[in-house]
Formats: sequence, structure tokens, C-alpha cells
Amino acid sequence: MKLLERILKYQIITSLCVLTLGAILFYFSVNYLINQEVNKELMHSRTKVSWQLRHIDELPVYILQLGDSLQLEPVRSPGHTVLVERKLFNQFENEYQPYRQLIFYERVEGTWYRVTISKLLAQRRQLLEAVVMTVTFIVALLLISLLILNSWLSRRLWRPFYKTLRALDSYQLEKHEVLTFSRQHTIEFEQLNQSVTQFTDRLAATYQNLKEFTENASHEIQTPLAVILSKIEGLFQDESLKESQLVALSEISEAANRLARLNQALLLLTKIENRQFLAGTEPIDLAPIINRKLRDLEDLIEQRGITVKTSAEATGPVMHPALAEVLVNNLLTNAIRYNIQGGTIEVTLTAGKLIVRNTGTPIHIDPELLFERFRKEGTHSASLGLGLALAKTICQVNGQTLTYKTDGPWHILTVDW
Amino acid sequence: MKLLLIEDEKALATSIQNYFQRENFICEWAADYRTAVEKINIYRYDCVLIDLMLPDGDGLDAVRELKRNYPETGIIIISAKNSLDDRITGLNLGSDDYLTKPFHLSELNARVQAVIRRRNFQGSQQIRFGKIQIEPQEHLVLVDGHEIILTRKEYDLLVYLIANKNRVLTKESIAEHLWGDDADLMDNFDFIYTHIKNLRKKLMDKGCPDYLKSIYGVGYKFSEQ
Repeated sequence: MKLLERILKYQIITSLCVLTLGAILFYFSVNYLINQEVNKELMHSRTKVSWQLRHIDELPVYILQLGDSLQLEPVRSPGHTVLVERKLFNQFENEYQPYRQLIFYERVEGTWYRVTISKLLAQRRQLLEAVVMTVTFIVALLLISLLILNSWLSRRLWRPFYKTLRALDSYQLEKHEVLTFSRQHTIEFEQLNQSVTQFTDRLAATYQNLKEFTENASHEIQTPLAVILSKIEGLFQDESLKESQLVALSEISEAANRLARLNQALLLLTKIENRQFLAGTEPIDLAPIINRKLRDLEDLIEQRGITVKTSAEATGPVMHPALAEVLVNNLLTNAIRYNIQGGTIEVTLTAGKLIVRNTGTPIHIDPELLFERFRKEGTHSASLGLGLALAKTICQVNGQTLTYKTDGPWHILTVDW
Repeated sequence: MKLLLIEDEKALATSIQNYFQRENFICEWAADYRTAVEKINIYRYDCVLIDLMLPDGDGLDAVRELKRNYPETGIIIISAKNSLDDRITGLNLGSDDYLTKPFHLSELNARVQAVIRRRNFQGSQQIRFGKIQIEPQEHLVLVDGHEIILTRKEYDLLVYLIANKNRVLTKESIAEHLWGDDADLMDNFDFIYTHIKNLRKKLMDKGCPDYLKSIYGVGYKFSEQ
């Protein structure tokens, strides 16, 4: 849920609660005030009526207000003074209406009378309703307009935040870009943007340094390696060396060779990651590359008794021709290396898709993990563990996706573009 | 045969020089661009080996200089730069080959011989070794005048072995020569062994003595003794 929606949700809930509670409270307080007023009037009337009854024989007509009624009934003995509310039939209106009655007892010339003063409540009730309704309506209106204003303001004020969020979302480290934003009036957003700018700036610098370091290191390692290998080869020609020395020398040579290959692979990987290969401008037909590569590798394929099935249309993605070679080479050599004796390789090239399927031993880790550098399943000593990492990186920089799935004995690598 | 090596790394240059001297080549050495251009303009070489990164200049300029004034000289670029652009520029300028550091001296030797063979327009391009005769243009191999049929890899292997005759060749250098970048696919070197075995059998079937000696733990040696 969006932040603004969440804020709005809480605002609406709170407003509704406050509105309901406030309306109820208001109703009861107004009602209470009105009742108090009526009671006071009734008591006032009682005082007047009592005085009249004691001092004059007849009650004047005006003694009670219009709409009130006064009843006198002789009773044998007095009761308690009570204040009740009941519905009585009103002849003028021709319906039952609420009345408030004050019943008390008064002794006139030795006889007890029950005096009932009734007061019509209808108008007062109407007034109450009108007041409560009006006030509630005004408050509701106020709340709604506040909510609308709030959400509109929020949307407007949060706009820079969403802009920053979008910029971060589409941020790509490999492009070495530094995110910059226009000045903001809100301090928090200005701070956020400044932090993001500084952060990406540092990131770009670090990335650049790392890139240069890797390149230089790789480069500078080549020359000493060339010296080592050439000296070893010179030594091999020395006929005075004993067999044990030759074997040791051979092991040194193997290790140095491996180091050289590793260095070259890492250098290539770094170059691809740093986008030193310009993207191609036209689609590369992968079919001839696949056929040539399979021909180059045919003795390895034969040696392992692998059956190769190829179905390739003349199609391919837009990419650098050298990278296309490396990609195809790595996928195919991978399919051979991890195949089983007498296994099968199926290469399918159709528009937008290259699938390399090979039989192999089942793997016990998530196949996607094999795209990591130096990650190997099992111990293939000759493998550098960089082949799939290279393939993945090539696909990434060219906007293709490379996926690795297993299906029983099948290992399926798919390139989509 | 006369070679010029333009390379600023002394240790590497000495190794290369020693290797070619055993081949009875004259291998001169220039450690910087200035000396290199001087030598190019005074002497004639069959093949020049050029390192691209020199302390006082770009090896590619030496390639241009050679191409302009002495187009018949063979050129092999040896460089630590493996970028595709450099490789293409080098080859476009007219260099015959491009070798990336580090390399096997035996590989460099084989390439130098191939370049000289190709450049040697007047003379024969034939390769001879004992009873073996190879016609590189036709990919034809004869033993005592009888043709033998070799696979592509066996043919490459034979040419490589003869180019580095009387030398110990490591399994890695053979693997790299035959499979290039895919050499690291060899989980063990059984593949080489298979090719060697087949090649030896085909040669001996036609009456060739066993030229191939296996050196325990190291590799092989192709020699007449």
C-alpha cells in the first residue's frame, strides 16, 4: 500500500470516529441542556400555580404559557412530587406528542389536589435535531475538505520523493552515472537527494577505481607470467635435468599456465562488465558460429561419445561479434565439459531464443548459483569456473537473459533476446 | 634466418633469443622504439616480433614503418593487450600474426616458421623432416613419397612437432596449440595422448621410424635420434 494511501486511511478512520463520537456527545449535551431548561420552567410554573392556588380561587388563563396544560384533580391523600415524560394526545395536531409533566400535590382549603403541569416538547425536540444536524453537517464538511486538501497537498509535496525513488529504481552502476536532482524546498527531500547524489558519486568513483585496478593488475600480471613461462620452457630443453626435476618443473608450468588462463578470463570478464565492447549495430547470425564451434570441438565430442543435435535458424541478437563467439563457445564447452559419457547435446536456435540442452549428472544446488564466479559443482580441476559467469555477464550487458534450469538428467541453458 | 625482437622486458627477450638461437636463427633484440626503428632501417630481417607497448613509442608505428618500407618482412605482434580492437588494428596494418602474452615459446616458434614459410614466395614451402615431407598449401603429408591421410588435428600436431623438433614440448603447449582457448576443457591430457598415439601409428605404418619420444611427466619430443 502506498504511503499516501496509508496516511489517508488512518485519517479517514480517525475522522469518522471523532465525527461519530462528537455528534453523539453533542446530541446528549444539547438534550441535557434543553431538559434542564424545561425542568426549570416547570418548577417556575409550579411556584406560580401553588401561590395562585393558595391566594386566589381561580387561576388566571395566562398563568401558564401557551401549549402547556394544567390539570387539577382532588385526591384523598398527597403523593410524591414526580417529573415524568410521556406521550399525550394533542387535539390541535391530532397526534400523540411528547410532553414533560410535573405532578405535585397542593392542599387548598382542606382538600388535597393533584396538580399536573404538562409541557409540550415537540418544538424543542425539532430544535435539538436541527442544531445537532447542522453542526454535524458542518463538521463533516470540514473533515472531508481537510482530507481532500491533505491528500492533494501530500501528492504535490511528495512528488520530489517519487522522482528520487524512480531515479534510484532505474539506477545502473555499470553506467558510472551520478544521480543529480534539482533543488527542493522541503528540507527532508533536499537532504535525501543530497545523500543520494553523494552516495552514487562515491559508488561511481569506487567502481571506477576497482575497474582500473582490476585492469591494471590483470595487465601487469601478463608480462611476468610470460617471463615465467618462457624461462620454464627454456629449462625444459636442458638435458642435464633429472626426471624428478622435470616433473616438478612440469607442475610449475601447469600452475603458471592455469594462472595465465585465469588472468585472461578475468580480464575479459572485467572488460565486458565495464562495457568496453561496444554494442553491435546489427543482429549477429549465431548459426554459423555454432556450426564452426561444434566443428572445432568435434574431437572432444567424439572422445566422449556425445550425440549432438542441432536445429538452427539463421538468426541472432544484436551484439558485438567477439562477444557472440565467446558466448556460444562457453555455452557449448560447458555442455561438453559437464556431459556424461555417451550423452546428448541439443542446440536449438530460433528467433529470440537459443537453447542448449545437455545430459549430465544432477546438481544439488540452485542452478542459478553456477553463474557465480569460481562456483563449480564437483571438482573439475581443469575448469576455471568462469565460463558461465562470462556467459551471464555477456547476456547482461547486451540486455539478454540467460537462465539455467535442470529437468531430470537435462541441464538447460536458455538465452532470450 | 634473421629475426628482430622488439621487446622491453629483458628477461623475456633473453628467453626468446636463446630459444631461436638453438634454432640457428639470428635473433637481434631492440629494447625500445628508437633502437627498433634504427635497426629496421639499417638491416634486413625475415621476421620482426613486435611488442605493442614500448617505453618510448607504440609498436603499431613500427608495424606501419615496416609495411611502408619493407613490405616483404614478416611481422608478428606479441602483446599483453588482448583487446579485440588492438588485434584487428594490428592485423589490418598488415601484421601476419598476433600472439597474446603469455605464450609458449614453442608456439611463437611455430608461428614464426609459418610466417617465414608463407613469406618465402620464391623458395619451396615444403616442410621436410626425416622421411616426412609436408606440402602445407595442399595439406599433404608424404612418408617416403606415399601419402598418408591425417585428420585436421593430427596434421596440425605434426606441423607443430616438426617446427619444434628436438625440443621438449609440454602437454599444455600442445593442447593450447591444438585447441586454443578451449584448451582448458581438457580435464586431463588424454585427448593429446589419443592424437599422439594415432599420429605415431599412421606414421609408423608407412615405415616411418618412431620419431616421437614421450618425456615422463612433461610431454613429448620429436627427434631423429
